[in-house]
Amino acid sequence: MPLEVEIPVKEVQRYMGYHGIVEIEPDMKDKIDKAIDHVSTQSHPRIISKEYPVKINGNDITICAESEELILHSEGLARNLEGCIGAVLLAATIGPACDMLVRRASIRSAAEAYIYQAAGAAAIEAFLDDYNEKLKASFEARGFFLRPRFSPGYGDLSLEHQKDWFRLLDITKQIGIELTDSLLMVPTKSVTAIIGVGYDKKNTGCCSGCAGCNRSASCEFSKERK
Amino acid sequence: MGLRERLGKEWLFCDGGTGSILQKMGLKGGELPETWNLTRPDDIKALNRGYFDAGSNIVNTNTFGANRFKFDNVSKIVTAGVKICQQARREAGREDDAYVAIDVGPTGKLLEPMGDLSFNEAVDVFAEIIKAGYEAGGDVVVIETMSDSYEAKAAVVAAHEVCDLPVIVTMVYDESGKLLTGGGVEGTVAMLEGLKVDAIGINCGFGPKQMLPIAERLVACCSLPIVVNPNAGLPRTENGVTVYDVDPNEFSEIMEDIAKLGVHVMGGCCGTTPDHISTMIRKVKALPFIEPVAKDTTYVTSFADCVKIGRKPVIIGERINPTGKKKLQQALRDNNIDYLLTEALNQEEAGADILDVNVGLPEIDEPVMMENVIMKIQSVTNLPLQIDTTDIEALERGMRIYNGKPMINSVNGKEENIRAVMPLVAKYGGVLVALPLDEGGIPETSDGRIAIAKRLYEAADRYGIPRKDIVIDGLAMTISSDPNSAIATLDTVRRVRDEFNGHSILGVSNISFGLPARELVNSHFLTMAMQNGLSCAIINPCNGPMMASYRSYNALMNLDPNLEGFINAYKDYVTGSSASAGTSKSSSSALSGTVLSLAEAIERGVTGRAAEAMKEALDSGRESLEIIDTDLIPALDRVGKGYEAGTVFLPQLLMSADAAKAAFAVVKEAMADKPRNTKGQVILATVKGDIHDIGKNIVKVMLENYGYDVIDLGKDVPPEVIVDCAIENNISVVGLSALMTTTVASMEETINLLREKKPGTKVVVGGAVMTQEYADKIGADAYAKDAMGTVRYCDSVFGE
Repeated sequence: MPLEVEIPVKEVQRYMGYHGIVEIEPDMKDKIDKAIDHVSTQSHPRIISKEYPVKINGNDITICAESEELILHSEGLARNLEGCIGAVLLAATIGPACDMLVRRASIRSAAEAYIYQAAGAAAIEAFLDDYNEKLKASFEARGFFLRPRFSPGYGDLSLEHQKDWFRLLDITKQIGIELTDSLLMVPTKSVTAIIGVGYDKKNTGCCSGCAGCNRSASCEFSKERK
Repeated sequence: MGLRERLGKEWLFCDGGTGSILQKMGLKGGELPETWNLTRPDDIKALNRGYFDAGSNIVNTNTFGANRFKFDNVSKIVTAGVKICQQARREAGREDDAYVAIDVGPTGKLLEPMGDLSFNEAVDVFAEIIKAGYEAGGDVVVIETMSDSYEAKAAVVAAHEVCDLPVIVTMVYDESGKLLTGGGVEGTVAMLEGLKVDAIGINCGFGPKQMLPIAERLVACCSLPIVVNPNAGLPRTENGVTVYDVDPNEFSEIMEDIAKLGVHVMGGCCGTTPDHISTMIRKVKALPFIEPVAKDTTYVTSFADCVKIGRKPVIIGERINPTGKKKLQQALRDNNIDYLLTEALNQEEAGADILDVNVGLPEIDEPVMMENVIMKIQSVTNLPLQIDTTDIEALERGMRIYNGKPMINSVNGKEENIRAVMPLVAKYGGVLVALPLDEGGIPETSDGRIAIAKRLYEAADRYGIPRKDIVIDGLAMTISSDPNSAIATLDTVRRVRDEFNGHSILGVSNISFGLPARELVNSHFLTMAMQNGLSCAIINPCNGPMMASYRSYNALMNLDPNLEGFINAYKDYVTGSSASAGTSKSSSSALSGTVLSLAEAIERGVTGRAAEAMKEALDSGRESLEIIDTDLIPALDRVGKGYEAGTVFLPQLLMSADAAKAAFAVVKEAMADKPRNTKGQVILATVKGDIHDIGKNIVKVMLENYGYDVIDLGKDVPPEVIVDCAIENNISVVGLSALMTTTVASMEETINLLREKKPGTKVVVGGAVMTQEYADKIGADAYAKDAMGTVRYCDSVFGE
């Protein structure tokens, strides 16, 4: 099942570290197009999500799952979820093929490996953005609004919470992502996230994306960088 | 009667869901169900009893996740699980016809090379569970809910190594019939049949309706009894609770349809209850039982691909074999695995179906090398492999860690050889190349060879290796020493097809040894052999004339649907040129008209032209060192400085690095016999726990281009390995990378161990989360913000 959404070339270029307006040489452009094509056709995206009620008390966020209450401490997430009554927890991956493409490329060319890597990063984001849009539409039809997605390891939400996501969503069995002892995900092009659900349209965009990240200023890939 | 005698002879039934029932009894989220074997044994007994009462013959112990990653008392929990199930059976009065199944689920970890669990450790993990279950009196091992065929293999190997109980394996496929790791139904079945399990099936994932088409595929390819255990429909979340919608009646109706396909063991999985099972049993038992039918298709598989050996000949790439190949020999001696991987990719792109892997060289440790090379090749290609060795230990280690059902090259008619090789094939499974030669040597005539082939088939029968998994070698030998040799070989190939309905294989190019223009003889011989029924051709797929023969044959014999393969390969063919499809790699297509100098080619990152220009420079009589110093390094430096100044982006720097690397490769080849000049030796490693190595790989390319000899230890490298390597090679600079804050800890651990065991070693660190401050905190000597930073640091240490 190939990736059914388009991988935006501009995003691939951003993940490659190009910023501002750049002229990409035809040779490089061909390589980028080829990588996008391979990643699109060989990926096998999968996603798992569950919706839970949430309670927010200061910087403590309580996720009310079927048989446990998960508590997350994070100022950033608390601000992001302000006013929310529920949240969608999710995990997504484009599958192991992209990792193999990167390994294959790296035998012969560092540049190509780097491009595949960027194409894979753009692919999982594009896949999630698409899912996010559909989710948004379905919630809006029910009179709810979604907050920007937020991931363990982002801002002050500890990466340790990966374990909670894996337990609640049964991620390994459902969609085949492994969490290593050092809390990294395999396949590498995988994402876990929480998306707040509220009655109001308030968008706390300050607590998501590059603007909300404390490393934005020094980051090679920042959208803010000109 | 034992279960093994009943499987495939009569209807048998498994149990149903566990999790949903335990949740109703009060199991909390995050609570491990297996702990109840010790804390709430009566509830578990009630669960088991429900299924014995419903009529299940095979009831699983509550041990699905009882592995050492979740428990430190595995044996106790498994033993209790078996005892509880036995008691439930006794109380239900089912001791005569029902079995206690040691239930084994996945570990939750991915195996190497994708994940971080080694195959042999996985075998250990499963062996611990199964041994405890066996000693407690379990009757059968049920390995279930596996979404990775490799992990299933580890569990089966473990089961066979600790006990002689029957083994049932059920996998989870998605609706397209794929495992999470990419394998399909046919390939997985071929691998499991090779491993000699007792029944094969599917469970979980979805309901009976969605499972029906997968069951159909199973019935079509599987020779063993088939097991189908679906969920009670597709899971759905309602107010945060998972629910299943298919009720016992609906479930049973679809199970009847599945039963009629020719399935032999039926049960349920998530969401099914004793009600589902008893209703199903009533309906299914009334249906006629269809015994399993042996299928005669031969498959060689990898974790993702499945190659059929049959009427259409398959190409086995011969390039990964050191015999007569100096560069490959050197690569093996230098442990330069990338060279072998490049050969693998080249052959795949040229059209190989299977890759032969032979790493036998007197001065290397062949078993270790075989294991390593197979693992590495399987991390970059889906093609199945042919394990080619005469070293029995290398063969066993290769077969053990191989992911799929490999080809094995080879066994011969000598008794001693049969006794060494065939038991391994019987244990691990594989398609076995059999050479019709014996203690008396190689028979000159096909009569002699066919007689030995017959004995080899009979030996396979004795070891329980199906005849379809034997491929007879026609033994191509040069016509320059025996003018009749091609005739004898072609006769043998034809007779294997006609007299045994068998498969054949040839190392095709042996036929022309000692002759000029070998590819002419080879390519014609290949056509003749295929016409005589050859199933497998071991050739160099990068050789144009050979592939031209192959593709033409397929086109002519209606083995190439719509002639697609032929047309794709030769659409740009120019009559009169030698048939060299797929090798039109023009280096400067984008820059037609201009011929770039070496420096320009490097600055603009044009790999092909850089290599060409280097060759031209060497041919013109210039000294290699002089070219490097005046053209190559300054060009690379200009790009590097541009990158540091922010005018050149990283991808461009990498393109230049690739181009410089290609130019260096030309120099290396030209100076193959002379000692190499390096600035110094540097270790690079991505630290333990970290699997993101792209940054480290970039640093490696740059350092090599700047004249350093890099020992690349790879990713997820334990501190001891780095320290031992530093001591052994007396290294003065170690470069470490880590991506995440969680793995910086093992970076610090590595630095501490280095300080203790090899003081004075300089450590330079880098990676996404790394900062100067962080580097200082963990005691590194330097922080490099990028690849150029590492080069500059090494230059400062080694002194220019």
